[in-house]
Amino acid sequence: MSSANQPYIDPSEIALEEPAAERFKSRSDAFWSGIRDATGAPAMVLFAGMVGFGAMGRTNGVDGWFTVLSSLLMFALPGQVVLMEMVITGSSVIAIALAVTLTSTRFVTMTVTLFPQLHEKDRNRNLYATVHLLAMTAWAVSMKEFSSIEVKHRLSYFVGLGLLCWLISVPGTILGYILAGFVPAAVTLGLVFINPLFFLLTFTEVKPWINRIAICLGCILGPFFTIWDRDSSLLTTGIVAGVIAYVIDRKWIRKKAGLIG
Amino acid sequence: MMNASLQGWGLWLALAGACVGTYVCRAIGVMLSGRINQDSEIFRLLSAITYAMVATLTVRLILFPIGLMATVPAWIRILICVLSIGVMLSKPTKRLVPALLTGTLLMVGYGIIR
Repeated sequence: MSSANQPYIDPSEIALEEPAAERFKSRSDAFWSGIRDATGAPAMVLFAGMVGFGAMGRTNGVDGWFTVLSSLLMFALPGQVVLMEMVITGSSVIAIALAVTLTSTRFVTMTVTLFPQLHEKDRNRNLYATVHLLAMTAWAVSMKEFSSIEVKHRLSYFVGLGLLCWLISVPGTILGYILAGFVPAAVTLGLVFINPLFFLLTFTEVKPWINRIAICLGCILGPFFTIWDRDSSLLTTGIVAGVIAYVIDRKWIRKKAGLIG
Repeated sequence: MMNASLQGWGLWLALAGACVGTYVCRAIGVMLSGRINQDSEIFRLLSAITYAMVATLTVRLILFPIGLMATVPAWIRILICVLSIGVMLSKPTKRLVPALLTGTLLMVGYGIIR
């Protein structure tokens, strides 16, 4: 349950572990254990992020339904903040959809690393519904706990955990939206600051050099691209900085032993 | 830059596009699970692009904020970030919650005394 210190964006940083012995008596036992684990520190951080997201929507005069529906239907905080920021600054619909989709590509990696650990019988079409519950918090906790959960109970545990994380996101967003409407401006300032601060802090835990370089380049190039053309700057900076980091990593860093894990 | 926010159909189209894009990524993950190696080149590239994008987003939210946050002087925003990172790095393990609290409370504190 200490995934508060897990990197937030790149799921490939945690290695798979060997499965272990009996931990839960039944599927419902595993489900409720997942629910209980979802009340810990990582989920509280997620909740705070959602409160901050709701407050961001309110203070910028964004529609309440829009704000809450994005938590319910997207359930991906970085993508939601990208969406919100670009909507507020009036980017084009195409640029918004592209940028959000690119931030969501991390879900491909997360799913690819987590779902093969489920029982063969559970790996059916229902996973296309279950996968909506997958976000960084539930993924990081599951990656850590699955090794000590017998294979047949893993799905129930994950559903309990993911379901509660998803369900607290909506009231969190509503709470932030309502609070920002009547608490003093000082408190609203704090709420609106939660998400940028949260992203910034999680950068300090990123280990692979390729991603560290990408972050630094994004921070340096970001302001220039923003001044040049705000509408497309997230996409252009992301792609330019990401590709440069990838090339640097491929050409130089990988050859030096000790720099990559 | 201000008062340019999306209205009407554009707003809901953007939400629909964002939801579909996000779900499609999750679904592709299910489709590929068990068939692809997480260390492949494409994942490395996508992960670098994602980090660069979120870094840009973060810098933008801190240096070029919109609305209420724009009323806080830039040096205050930067100072609070530096102090929070200091708390985060003061001990290598599990300082995310204290660091997050430090930054948030400092911002609230600034709001009260200004």
